[in-house]
Amino acid sequence: MTQAKEKEKQHATKVGVYICHCGGNISDHVDVEAVRRRLEKVPGVAVARTNMFMCSDPGQELIAEDLKNGVVDRVVVASCAPSLHETTFRNAIRRAGANPYIYEHANIREQVSWVHHGAAATEKAATLVEAAAAKAGLLRPLTPIRVTAARHATVIGGGVAGLSAARDLADRGIPVTLVEKSPCLGGQLARLDRIAPTGERAPELVRALADAVLNHPHITVFTDAQVIATDGYIGNFKLTVRQEVASEAFTGTEACYIPFSGMRPAGPSPSEPREFNLETGAIVVATGFRSYEPRQGEYGFGDFASVITLPTLIRKMAEQDTEGSFLEIDGRRIRSVAMIHCVGSRQIPGIHPEDASGRLNEYCSRTCCTATLNAACRIRETHPGTRVYELYRDIRTYGRGQEELYEQAARDGVVFLRFEPDQAPEVVRADPTDGYPLKIRVTDTLTFSENLEVPADLVVLSTGMEPNDVSDLVEMMKLPVGVDRFLLEVHPKLRPVEMPVGGIFVAGTCQAPFDVGETCNAAGAAAVKAASLLAEGHVELDPFVAEVDAERCKGSGACVEACLNPGALALVEMQIGGQTVRRAQVTPALCLGCGACVAVCPENAIDVCGMTLSQYEAMVDAIVADQVAADALR
Amino acid sequence: MTMLNPDFAEELKQFSEDSALACFNCGTCAAICPLIDSHFPRSMIRYVQIGAKERILEAATELWKCLHCGLCTQTCPREANPGEIILGLKRLVLDHWRKS
Ligand SMILES: Cc1cc2nc3c(=O)[nH]c(=O)nc-3n(C[C@H](O)[C@H](O)[C@H](O)COP(=O)(O)OP(=O)(O)OC[C@H]3O[C@@H](n4cnc5c(N)ncnc54)[C@H](O)[C@@H]3O)c2cc1C
Ligand code: SF4
Ligand code: SF4
Ligand code: SF4
Repeated sequence: MTQAKEKEKQHATKVGVYICHCGGNISDHVDVEAVRRRLEKVPGVAVARTNMFMCSDPGQELIAEDLKNGVVDRVVVASCAPSLHETTFRNAIRRAGANPYIYEHANIREQVSWVHHGAAATEKAATLVEAAAAKAGLLRPLTPIRVTAARHATVIGGGVAGLSAARDLADRGIPVTLVEKSPCLGGQLARLDRIAPTGERAPELVRALADAVLNHPHITVFTDAQVIATDGYIGNFKLTVRQEVASEAFTGTEACYIPFSGMRPAGPSPSEPREFNLETGAIVVATGFRSYEPRQGEYGFGDFASVITLPTLIRKMAEQDTEGSFLEIDGRRIRSVAMIHCVGSRQIPGIHPEDASGRLNEYCSRTCCTATLNAACRIRETHPGTRVYELYRDIRTYGRGQEELYEQAARDGVVFLRFEPDQAPEVVRADPTDGYPLKIRVTDTLTFSENLEVPADLVVLSTGMEPNDVSDLVEMMKLPVGVDRFLLEVHPKLRPVEMPVGGIFVAGTCQAPFDVGETCNAAGAAAVKAASLLAEGHVELDPFVAEVDAERCKGSGACVEACLNPGALALVEMQIGGQTVRRAQVTPALCLGCGACVAVCPENAIDVCGMTLSQYEAMVDAIVADQVAADALR
Repeated sequence: MTMLNPDFAEELKQFSEDSALACFNCGTCAAICPLIDSHFPRSMIRYVQIGAKERILEAATELWKCLHCGLCTQTCPREANPGEIILGLKRLVLDHWRKS
């Protein structure tokens, strides 16, 4: 519809304005009734109502009744941030049988009552609602964009997250391709032994999961493989996968479990590297983590052979699974082991040195406390002669069954010492008279900050998690990354497994430190999201995309140059008035709705639906009109 | 500098309840104890945990201030039985005095 026609329609609309008290959250600071009275007088506004909670059933019912009775045909709700309830109200309108895009939202909580008070708050609220009503008058019904979706999903990463997401998706009947970089499936879980807090054996979990995946008729697995190029959009991604020649040729005709590597799928592995294309509807990124590698000299690491990391301890213990009064590591009898928490995690600017690229891991890795306690209990139970000391900053056994492990460790005779971050323990060579090779000097806050020395045959560093380097995927797929370098979801509470690019989901420890249970929760959520997206064979996208007014367009192409997403806009030849002309054309599925094109068009010929220039002009007019009226009163 | 002595726990067993390592140093016992010394009886429990026998002997007279009211044992969330340990430490100290 042209803008002239939009203007014409302006006064034909009946705008309903619904103002929320938010229980008092809004009405304690904004005189909601005064706002209502002002809005009632605005031309084009048919009714203005208030409610204690607009989002409640009775609140939504108000809107539905007015729509059904023909009292209103445009809706403005003035309440909290649209991120919370815009969808709620659009759905209420849809249920009432109207088009959900005749809706405009005014945020008078976060933008008003939470930050302003008194008359100024009421004034600003009224202005924002008037502007929203002015825009609503120009809104027109829109149709969601429908694109067909390939009924196929790709999972990147074959750790526990990738494996369980692949299995869940395939169980819903969706064909899945799983792309794993290493030669084996199982990821970091395959490098563990008995896992906390249940004591289950990691190899058994990996085996069960990998078997289910490898034997699933709907799953194709590629190991030694990586996604090297991506194109397309939700429902219609095109990926290029490259599979390398395995470093060790594998000819086994059956999958086999390699301890501390994972499940190797049946061979023969390809003898030539190959590349192939995949058409896929949804992508689950499950690229996982790597363990922090201590710096040379950090707590004696690299200086003393008997300073090792927790993953190394776990492996050595599993590989030398001997009973006996004393733990033996590398043939040495361990009388005393000291475990230091938070190595490479919870780093503090000014206290901990940055790594070569200037970064600090300020986050808690969440799994190391429990994993350390788990290892400590195991040592005390199987080798009661070996003493265990744990040096911690805080014990963070946050999950079900984990605090019990902390208590168990104490009952098993583990001695705890607590240090302040700026008084890190020091691992030094012990004096010959001490009878131990190493000792740890620590200012122990549990002993009234006295200086203590812990004798040690073995020092274990509880190293934390760092995300795997997936900068290539981040670049290709435009994935957001947090300051901690983990992948960043759209919303940590409300949309925890979605990436902002439609059709791409995130699962497991590439997003944040998780334990295995949490990883599987995330993977299940990502699989369900992807499955419901692909279930219909097509996806519906919000219609807030650019639209060209072919009558006004002169084909200058300024918009095409300004467009941020290649492929969203192009100049194409078309017939207008019997002549062949070049005009801009939008590919709605690729348009980001950012409006970069709108800003540069010299002809005002391109607009973003639902956010047109004329709609914004109407908002500005409403705001200015208020100002003029106020000045006149002065 | 005090070097931790893991063997002290064994020595103490003949005199006292062996529950000190259950303590997680919350300080509840010190808060409830009617004596005014700020860390008592946790201070003693902690010295038992790290095997700081010298520290205990240095502060031995403190032990005799204990009223054996039992409040600490009643309130300890970890059932470390601090009251019993104080009693046990008295036995240790007496034994030590007798021998020296
Ligand atoms: C020392 C230690 C002890 C732990 N103990 C416990 C415990 O006792 N209990 C517990 O519940 N949890 C424990 N955890 C946590 C547990 O290991 C993780 O929760 C789990 O392994 C995470 O699985 P994931 O699939 O997210 O990641 P990962 O296991 O890291 O899997 C990621 C996979 O993706 C692959 N990959 C990476 N990049 C690419 C790419 N670009 N393309 C293709 N593939 C790629 C990797 O090769 C890997 O196979 C422990 C962790 C550590 C470090
Ligand atoms: S889980 Fe424990 S050891 Fe790991 S970073 Fe957090 S507080 Fe430190
Ligand atoms: S028993 Fe002794 S240490 Fe415990 S609360 Fe009473 S006086 Fe204090
Ligand atoms: S109350 Fe119990 S757990 Fe807490 S400090 Fe005293 S002895 Fe330890």
